[in-house]
Amino acid sequence: MRHKNSRRDFIRNLGISGAAANLVLALPSLGWEASGQKKQRVIFVFSPNGVIPKHFWPDEEGETFELKRILEPLAPYRDQLLTLRGIDNRIKGDGDGHMRGIGCLLTGVELFPGDVQGGSDTPAGWSMGISIDQHLKNKLQADAATRTRFGSLEFGVMVPDRADTWTRWSYAGPNQPVAPISDPYQMFNKLYGNIQNRVMLSSVLDDLSEDFKKIEKMVSSEDRQILQQHAELVRSVERELKADLQRAIDQQPADNITASADHAVPKLPPNVQEQNDNMPLISRMQTDLMVNSLMSDFTRVATMQITNSVGNPRMRWLDIDEGHHTISHEPDSNEDAYEQLIKINTWYSEQVAYMAKKLKETPEPGGDGSMLDHTTIIWTNELGKGNSHTRNSIPFVMVGGGLGFKTGRSLNFGNQPHNRLLLSITEAMGHAEKTFGNPDYCGDGPLTGLV
Amino acid sequence: MLTRGKVAKADSWDSSQRFCNHLPQPNWLIILTQVCLMACLVELPSLVAAPPEAAAQAKDASGPEPSSAEEAKRIERGSQIYKQNCQNCHGRSGQGSEDQYEHALIGDLSVGSLTQLISRTMPEEDPDACTGEDAAAVATYIHTAFYSEAARVRNRPPRIVMSRLTGEQLRQSIADLYGHFTKPPATSDQRGVKATYYNGTSRKSEELKIDRVDKVIDFEFGTESPGDGIDPKSYLIHWEGSLKVDKTGRYEIVLRSTCSCMMKFGSRNRELINNHVQSEGRDEFRREMFLTAGRAYPYEISFLQRKRKTKQPPARVSLSWIPPGGIEEVIPQQNMIPEQLADTFALQAKLPPDDRSYGYDRGTSVSRQWDESTTATAIEFAEIAIEELYPKYRHRYRNDSDENRSILKRFLAEIVTVAFRGKLDDATRKLYIDQQIALSEDDGEAIRRAMLLTLKSPRFLYPTLDAEHNRSQRTANRLALVMFDSLPSAPWLVNSAAKDKIQNDAQLKNAARRMVDDYRTQAKTLTFLNEWLGLQNTDEIAKDKELFPGFDSHTIQDLKKSMNRFLQDFIENEVSDFRQLLQADWRYTTKRLENYYGTAWRPDMTKGHPQTNQAQIIQNAAPQEAEDTKEPQDIKHDDAQLDSMLTRSVRDREIHAGVLTHPLIMSNLAYHRTTSPIHRGVFLTRRTLGRVLRPPDASFTPLSAELHPELTTRERIQLQTGEVNCQACHKQINSLGFAFEHFDATGKFRREEKAKQINATGNYTDRVGKRVDFNGARELADYLAQSEDCHQAFVEAAFEHFVKQPITAYGSGTADEITKSFRDSGYNIRELLITIAVTASRQPIAATIQP
Repeated sequence: MRHKNSRRDFIRNLGISGAAANLVLALPSLGWEASGQKKQRVIFVFSPNGVIPKHFWPDEEGETFELKRILEPLAPYRDQLLTLRGIDNRIKGDGDGHMRGIGCLLTGVELFPGDVQGGSDTPAGWSMGISIDQHLKNKLQADAATRTRFGSLEFGVMVPDRADTWTRWSYAGPNQPVAPISDPYQMFNKLYGNIQNRVMLSSVLDDLSEDFKKIEKMVSSEDRQILQQHAELVRSVERELKADLQRAIDQQPADNITASADHAVPKLPPNVQEQNDNMPLISRMQTDLMVNSLMSDFTRVATMQITNSVGNPRMRWLDIDEGHHTISHEPDSNEDAYEQLIKINTWYSEQVAYMAKKLKETPEPGGDGSMLDHTTIIWTNELGKGNSHTRNSIPFVMVGGGLGFKTGRSLNFGNQPHNRLLLSITEAMGHAEKTFGNPDYCGDGPLTGLV
Repeated sequence: MLTRGKVAKADSWDSSQRFCNHLPQPNWLIILTQVCLMACLVELPSLVAAPPEAAAQAKDASGPEPSSAEEAKRIERGSQIYKQNCQNCHGRSGQGSEDQYEHALIGDLSVGSLTQLISRTMPEEDPDACTGEDAAAVATYIHTAFYSEAARVRNRPPRIVMSRLTGEQLRQSIADLYGHFTKPPATSDQRGVKATYYNGTSRKSEELKIDRVDKVIDFEFGTESPGDGIDPKSYLIHWEGSLKVDKTGRYEIVLRSTCSCMMKFGSRNRELINNHVQSEGRDEFRREMFLTAGRAYPYEISFLQRKRKTKQPPARVSLSWIPPGGIEEVIPQQNMIPEQLADTFALQAKLPPDDRSYGYDRGTSVSRQWDESTTATAIEFAEIAIEELYPKYRHRYRNDSDENRSILKRFLAEIVTVAFRGKLDDATRKLYIDQQIALSEDDGEAIRRAMLLTLKSPRFLYPTLDAEHNRSQRTANRLALVMFDSLPSAPWLVNSAAKDKIQNDAQLKNAARRMVDDYRTQAKTLTFLNEWLGLQNTDEIAKDKELFPGFDSHTIQDLKKSMNRFLQDFIENEVSDFRQLLQADWRYTTKRLENYYGTAWRPDMTKGHPQTNQAQIIQNAAPQEAEDTKEPQDIKHDDAQLDSMLTRSVRDREIHAGVLTHPLIMSNLAYHRTTSPIHRGVFLTRRTLGRVLRPPDASFTPLSAELHPELTTRERIQLQTGEVNCQACHKQINSLGFAFEHFDATGKFRREEKAKQINATGNYTDRVGKRVDFNGARELADYLAQSEDCHQAFVEAAFEHFVKQPITAYGSGTADEITKSFRDSGYNIRELLITIAVTASRQPIAATIQP
């Protein structure tokens, strides 16, 4: 079934108000693509403190390779997997390794001079440039064919409640860090607050009308007039809300798999506090919200920042009581720490795998295959390895078919600046650039051999 | 028709606003003509519909005006027939009778339809008995006398109308609903910012080097140390206090800082600006927000110069704002309190404007837009309750059992009780709390549901819908409404109400007295005085640049500050003698104002200010501010700031002839190039003296000043309004307005116009027919200060601003009684407010319940 009408026509045909349009737009089924163009999505996932390369990178290159322990959870998606070894974050300038590790990761440019002093090197401020996710957002939003409700969504998992160079990786421009939303309920409100409030309102108004009847009896007949007008107003709002909701459900395109509005709004477990031990649950809630919002075409660009640079969660659910960052400084000779770091990174890998799983299980709305076929998850890290703070061979692992790269391969680029990868990503999203970030690292253009 | 009452009000406020709004530019002649015509047309319905007293009197005298003698005859005949044949069943004025016909004869049929109906059906036992001319006569009579909507409005006695919360009342109520869970609002006499300066970048007590109150935040330390014992390369300054907001509206806060800085606002946990990371090129932070008047918003700022390996930027920091309708300035000392008062929440939702057709906001209608704004309000409050109030509440009761979500239940019960202004009965509690909790597993969702229901409920939105509560509770509800535009939330008031301890007048008066010095009451008073002075819309004042060089936006801003400070002092003053407003012989001035307005505007450098008798704030602050030139060297002020530093001026009885001749008012009531004695006269007649003026018979175009270059303004006005028809009103208008002729279009004092001596003689004939003559503004001001007309007009305007109901609804003698007690108190405005609050809170206790 083809949809000839634009979204606006659809709204107009429904004959509903602007406020109600918002409500309708919040329903996934109506967010089909504006044209027949293949939908492309990209998700950036951050985890901190480097990896254990030996148990991360496949030894072999090419299509035949064996997954190491850390990447083992991604085995079900092996055909859609791409590991990119040998890509370095070469950005110099102010800031310590961690700061530049996160602050230059998606921006490919130096940090401003500033006053935040890390464990070594010079102090620094915010990034001097825009990050790739925000850059893509701007490009996609500028074109009606790829424009979405939000353009981009920035998720966080246990990102500490402070704004500094270590807690931000997305930038809307120079000196403009974008704060991720770590509270799933807050994200839920942003995504569905409108519809939820209206659904709630329509049910609450029922109760209110009931009380109106009682209250009317409390006043003189003259004063009753305004109350009666008011009650009538409440009833008419209630009727309209109900009709709008019903219409929105009825008018869903037949080819959409999401059958009812109930499924459109995901259900979050109640009363989950942002606490260390809830991290696995929060990660799951955030991923569910993200997949749901992608399905609803609220956005085609998303970031998931799990903790922060120097992130120090205590993964007690893995029987690890010490913080991640603390452990990451231990030498390789500390076998316990070494093993723990493998476990920790495997856990991060599982989060990526869960995301891939959700996408894989969801048929592409209004398209072919699964959502994973139209989405690329790019999992990355601030450092190559924790105890050396190297930013060579930054972990870049891709899952999914959104960017159209040739997947099912293990690649090694042998020390290429990561600006070139950023160029490849924007090119693959249909917006090729000559440079991204510091032009000095862009000389050779996008990476070759990805497609 | 110089009667008092509602007609006077509707007419005077309405049309004087319209009149002033539409007359400003003499060169807009054509538009003006049309507007005047429109004014006449628009005026008519308000006269017809004008309900209470005056209309009732008119009816007694002559009945609703018949359009012709013929119709009068018909009505008379209809009246006769009605008495004989209809009254028995339908009642003397159509109200019906219990055993015959119980429904009232009211409806919206036309006279024609009504005639037909009567012809066909009446009287019931013999429908043919009343037909044709007889039926028409009866129809005409009952339609005019009581049947039609117009008749019903006319017959309705002035009464206290149940109203929903106005926009301002909603904002204030929400703020107090939040405030119920924090400390009760407090006040402070201190002004400035509490400042602690530390050596190094942590707040260790041993590194505390300076502990003082800074006047404002505006410093340029550069690479120097901010004080003794402080390392210029590494220090922390912590400022804290509260921002006192006197006017509701949109503000922009501007923090400029070249170093790391953090700012919290409204609550210690609410971050407004996070510049923890200093980053080159990022040194200006702007935040827009809607703030509610009469509130002090706690804030704190941490400013850090961090030692580093690289080069440090020179340290610079300032805290400015753009107040509603104003221009950017460093936040003045007057608005800063050097301590963090209670956490405060200001509603951001946009609310539609309220009906002001009676001269004060009234919540007497409901609309779709308004309904939507109540939803937005409920959702916004729910969010802050979830984010701030509920976690705090849980923390406070963390040791209590939480079986069956009892903590959540108690939390919601507390909010709903305050929102509904009284104890909850079981059914209400069940519906608004238990039922909503049962429907939501998640606490946040339960709060959202309950708030949506509660804050959209008439029990919250109609503040006097409280017949089921005890007498004290209802009194407290009205007191809070009159004084604060809000609901009772302070523990003492809530408790007195719950224990039914506001029963008698003495208790009521005591309660009112406790409330009168509150910032909320003061802010409401400030708004009132601004309205009384016609200053609600002064954003548009602009004068001919060539004729009045120097009268620019900065001068206007300074005039506003000068006026505002004067009124603030007056309000805060314990004596606050109304006559002082009208007679004061000094102003607040600035260097810029002195430059423009001349030597009478120079600062008074003498200490002590004998015979001021003003509040301590004046005695302290004025000389203090005069010394502002001797500031700590590191305070930087650009010239513009120095130019607008407020000080008291010298005295001059002629040039500073009371508040009415303040240039802000004089320039507001003037044209672009010339004065407007008519605007000034209408303002004095209607607003200051509370007299009625009917609109002009026809539209007139002011004579052009250019066409009469030889005439003074006074002569030109006399020429134009000299006709007999005009003189009916203009005799009064002109002879008042001319008294201000010494003040040109920018309010600058002048002795001549067109090389002729200014003639500022005038006169006034008061309500009882006594004529007074005066020469110039000073004599007029001294007259007004003891004029009964003026006192009563002020009392009525104050009453209606505070109570938002017509004063006549509280009994026909109320205006006189309050005016008398006002006089007896030495024209003390705080006593007036107490009397008004007591009167309005006492009266409506006997709520009528008609099931």
